[in-house]
Amino acid sequence: MAKELTVLMLTWEFPPRIIGGISPHVYYLSKNLAKNGVKVYVVTCDFPGAPTHEKIDGVEVLRIDSYKNPAPDFATWVYLMNVNMQKEAAALVNSLGGKVDIFHAHDWLVANAGIGLKHVFRKPLIATMHSTEIGRRNGIHSDYERMIHETEAWLTYEAWRVICCSNYMVSHVQWAFGLPQDKLAMIPNGVEAEVYEKFGKEELSQFRSKFALPEEKIVLFVGRLVYEKGAHVFVNAIPKVLEKTNAKFIVVGDGYMKEQLSNLVRGMGLAHKVLFTGFVDDETLRKLQKCADVSVVPSLFEPFGIVALEAMAAQSPVVVSDAGGLSEIVEHDVTGIKVYVNNPDSLAWGITRALLNKEYAETLKANAYKKVREFYNWNSIAQKTRTLYEAVLSEYSKSFWA
Amino acid sequence: MHVIIFSWEYPPRIVGQLANYVKKLAEQLVKNNVKVHVVTYHDFSTGEFDEPNSVKTYRVTNPVRTHIGVLTWVLTLNQEVERAAANIYYKANKHVNLIDVHDWHFIPAAVTLKKALNIPFVYSVESLEEHRSHGANSPFNMAIKSIEWLGMYEAERLVVKSEWMRDEVSRLYRVPQEKMRVISPTSTNWVESILEIYKSAAKPSGAAEWLKN
Repeated sequence: MAKELTVLMLTWEFPPRIIGGISPHVYYLSKNLAKNGVKVYVVTCDFPGAPTHEKIDGVEVLRIDSYKNPAPDFATWVYLMNVNMQKEAAALVNSLGGKVDIFHAHDWLVANAGIGLKHVFRKPLIATMHSTEIGRRNGIHSDYERMIHETEAWLTYEAWRVICCSNYMVSHVQWAFGLPQDKLAMIPNGVEAEVYEKFGKEELSQFRSKFALPEEKIVLFVGRLVYEKGAHVFVNAIPKVLEKTNAKFIVVGDGYMKEQLSNLVRGMGLAHKVLFTGFVDDETLRKLQKCADVSVVPSLFEPFGIVALEAMAAQSPVVVSDAGGLSEIVEHDVTGIKVYVNNPDSLAWGITRALLNKEYAETLKANAYKKVREFYNWNSIAQKTRTLYEAVLSEYSKSFWA
Repeated sequence: MHVIIFSWEYPPRIVGQLANYVKKLAEQLVKNNVKVHVVTYHDFSTGEFDEPNSVKTYRVTNPVRTHIGVLTWVLTLNQEVERAAANIYYKANKHVNLIDVHDWHFIPAAVTLKKALNIPFVYSVESLEEHRSHGANSPFNMAIKSIEWLGMYEAERLVVKSEWMRDEVSRLYRVPQEKMRVISPTSTNWVESILEIYKSAAKPSGAAEWLKN
């Protein structure tokens, strides 16, 4: 298509505001869409110190005042934030003379804004479902959770197409909301391998010495400290790994389980072996991933598992639970090690296997790195997304809205 | 002139005194050659209706059935209000001059439509959260107050029903008095006064506006 394509992305997080995986996803997707000739506007929540307007890597970013309204709870905050997001996005589109071809919303957190904009401007809405409430909570247990579940259902109903990042999520979303198959599209998540290649050997070994003794291997967990990420399974595997080999366990991330987990570690008498770093900046995270002798992703529920992909790009062997998207990313004994879900014994087995067999670990690393470069690069993901946009616009052009 | 009225209650759904007031208003406006659509809520009787006396209604329901409070309920309902108003707008070939929004519930929709489609709105104040909740300042009340504030800030004009209310709006939200007009529903020139306000706030539908677009 020769015509210039303009997309407005809605997301509640965009760098430097990083809460979970949506932020880097939207960043890399937008940047690579821009490289592929798509004009991209991102409307997102504000962040201390970040400008209201800026252009990053060819992408126009607008940050809205997201704490304008006092809110009694998180979900109400989300809906109130959407009032401002929609207002600002509407003004932006109006200032462009309505010349936006597609609204692309990421998760229920921006459902209201996406749906409203679709109807007032009569342009197609595309939704990427990064996760679901029913998956995160392993069922729906309260009105609060049901409200979020129904908001997700509403977003998928209003969307022209629903994108999921793994085959697992496609079937999960189809089941959760009763969607027709031809409404769903699988476009994987990606990782930029180049960002791991700029560190020198000397720099890394100096960095490593701040975290572990030379004789200690580094076992790394990266994720929000919430139930579904399985950090508790990781902690429970630690004593079993230490029976076999000497290692330092590093837990990167924050969440409501942090205190509980550090109490658990102290109760085990292993506080000197486990380090909770909290949330760290990109640079530190990447160096840690480079230094890790094994990276562990023990999620109980995992729509995609970007952390495993990052570790593969950083050339650190991965041990993952056989769950959700992780099952698709990792091929057992080829690109990583798969272990049973929610099973500390199995996880300890996997970690030990990677740590004690040096040659085996090297093979896993090499295979994983090759896979990442070939299948999970953002340029090809952006091209697939652009093709999807064009398909939707061609259907749209035959509708009475066009 | 083509006006869309937003009200969260309209007969047969009657919660308080607003429903019958809005009905009377819509019917009087039609008598004065205003084209009127009322966008309102009904749980199950949804869609477009031709009411007696040439008023057109468009009832929407909440697409999200489960809620934790009136605030989340209202905020998701607003998208449906926007959808209904947008459908009216496009069906009328974009000839909608004004939205008249009654109370805070559908302020978010009115604001979006103003920002997106340049349809101005008048905010008709029936009551304020400050008085309904006896000055409570919990995050819940503050959130509703912040929506009321948004409406007062973005509205072209405010219609209040008494001098007391005008002074309260002015005291609580620092709205300049000249932005407000007191129009008592019992006054003899009630409709004429409303029409005056509409005309001063409405988007002109003449050729000049078309040339601009």
